[in-house]
Amino acid sequence: MRDPDVLVIGGGPAGMSAALEAARSGLAVELVEQRESLGGAIYRQPVEGVPAIPQSAGARGRWEALSRAFSTAAIPVRFGSVFLGVDGHGYVLVEDRQKGLVECLSPRAVVLATGAVEHVHPRPGWQFAGVSTAGGLQVMMKETGTAPRGSVLLAGSGPLLIAVAAQMARLGNPPLAIVESGDPYRRIMPGLGMLGFPKLLAEALGYLRDIHLHRIPWLRGSRLFRIERQGDAFSAVVRTGDGNQSTFVCDRIGLHDGIRPNDYGLPPASSEAMADPVIVRAGDCREALGAIAAEADGRRAGRLVIKGVAASTAGDMEQIDRQRRAQALLSKLFAPLDDRSPLDELADDTLLCRCEGKTVSDLRNLCQRADSLTGREVKHNGRFAMGACQGRFCAANTAALMARFKPEAPAPAAADLTGRRWPVRPVSIGALVRAASQDNDTQ
Amino acid sequence: MTEDTFRLMGRTISFRAGESIAAALQAVGVLTYGPDALGNETRCFCGIGACQCCLVRVDGIVREACITLARPGMSVEPVERRHA
Repeated sequence: MRDPDVLVIGGGPAGMSAALEAARSGLAVELVEQRESLGGAIYRQPVEGVPAIPQSAGARGRWEALSRAFSTAAIPVRFGSVFLGVDGHGYVLVEDRQKGLVECLSPRAVVLATGAVEHVHPRPGWQFAGVSTAGGLQVMMKETGTAPRGSVLLAGSGPLLIAVAAQMARLGNPPLAIVESGDPYRRIMPGLGMLGFPKLLAEALGYLRDIHLHRIPWLRGSRLFRIERQGDAFSAVVRTGDGNQSTFVCDRIGLHDGIRPNDYGLPPASSEAMADPVIVRAGDCREALGAIAAEADGRRAGRLVIKGVAASTAGDMEQIDRQRRAQALLSKLFAPLDDRSPLDELADDTLLCRCEGKTVSDLRNLCQRADSLTGREVKHNGRFAMGACQGRFCAANTAALMARFKPEAPAPAAADLTGRRWPVRPVSIGALVRAASQDNDTQ
Repeated sequence: MTEDTFRLMGRTISFRAGESIAAALQAVGVLTYGPDALGNETRCFCGIGACQCCLVRVDGIVREACITLARPGMSVEPVERRHA
């Protein structure tokens, strides 16, 4: 089989629209998707026979149009396959997990559209089974059409929490409460600014209406700062805006403190059109601006691939700029009332790195050494960002805490800890060795 | 709706066609899938294949429970085999 001209990594809105745009010019395009269905996290599809969970009309319309165009274009999809990276020879490594086979492909261009990950502040007890991200609860609702069972507490910050709460309520199990560190009602200017984004505003008001109808407490200006096991349940300790503490006993907890690009370990975007392969990033993995911007950014990426990295993409940029303004307003709207960092009050035994079991005191000890350690050295000496998730859920927090422990040293970035190399996802040595021996056979 | 089953540590788990292993386990109230290499409980956290907290062995191969489709007759075991 001939290798495709363009390989697109990720079957969410950015990847699908990039593939569509590139295929329109007659290029041979293939898309790599880790799951068995398209849509990404935002448009995760329900299993057979389950009705889709109630979503805004806008989101439903965007998905219907995109998936229809994608089926019409008949672009081949490698389902159940994960992107491992681009090796030193420019081969793109993709593992077909159904066949247990790593393939080395030589496309002329690669569009990386790996989406976003949620940002979650560490809190004592955030590693327990039953504590997940709020987005994790949401994708599960989208897939199964059912709300998580038992009493559920949502905590952190941002509009996603109210969306998840409303969707849970519509599916018959409203959460106990939403613990929100910001207070949008007190942020007048960004609130007025949202009037310039009527669709987003209407969507948010729809969620708030459900929250009000179901009498879900929205505890603004509050923080969940400790989770403890209490038999089979959790006790979640919350500090409310007035400085009081209250404890919630619950079965599940959904945490969410924003989203950021899932760009961990990805190869850099090409700066010139002669690169082999040309690498372009699209959507939330380039800049986390949500589904509308991701689709526009996918079109932009598709056009770059066709015309080279200097192509004009003015029309798409307007849409992306608009979504950037909306996201900037939303972060102001949900800015925490308490401007002290939640990192400053973490108990010593709080886990920072979930994969390797590294704690706040492990990091403090490293930072107290006479020879000041860089992000990279903290990884190599301390195993932070070294584990299976490759720093996706600890690198940003660890870098931020390093800067607080060592305010006089240059502040490290998350990427200083993670580095940039393949494989970006765990792969069995056996599968890699089989790929290497096949490669030798064909040479 | 089609119903089928797989095995989790000797227990029979029903699932619906198209469901991930994590979704099928959540439906029967299973939130942890045995210990990881550090002895911590494995569990679904991010739901999108990023955090590697839900690793299990599917017919012997390490996979994320949240993005791996449940299939009839598959065997799901903890990622770490503990020696008694």
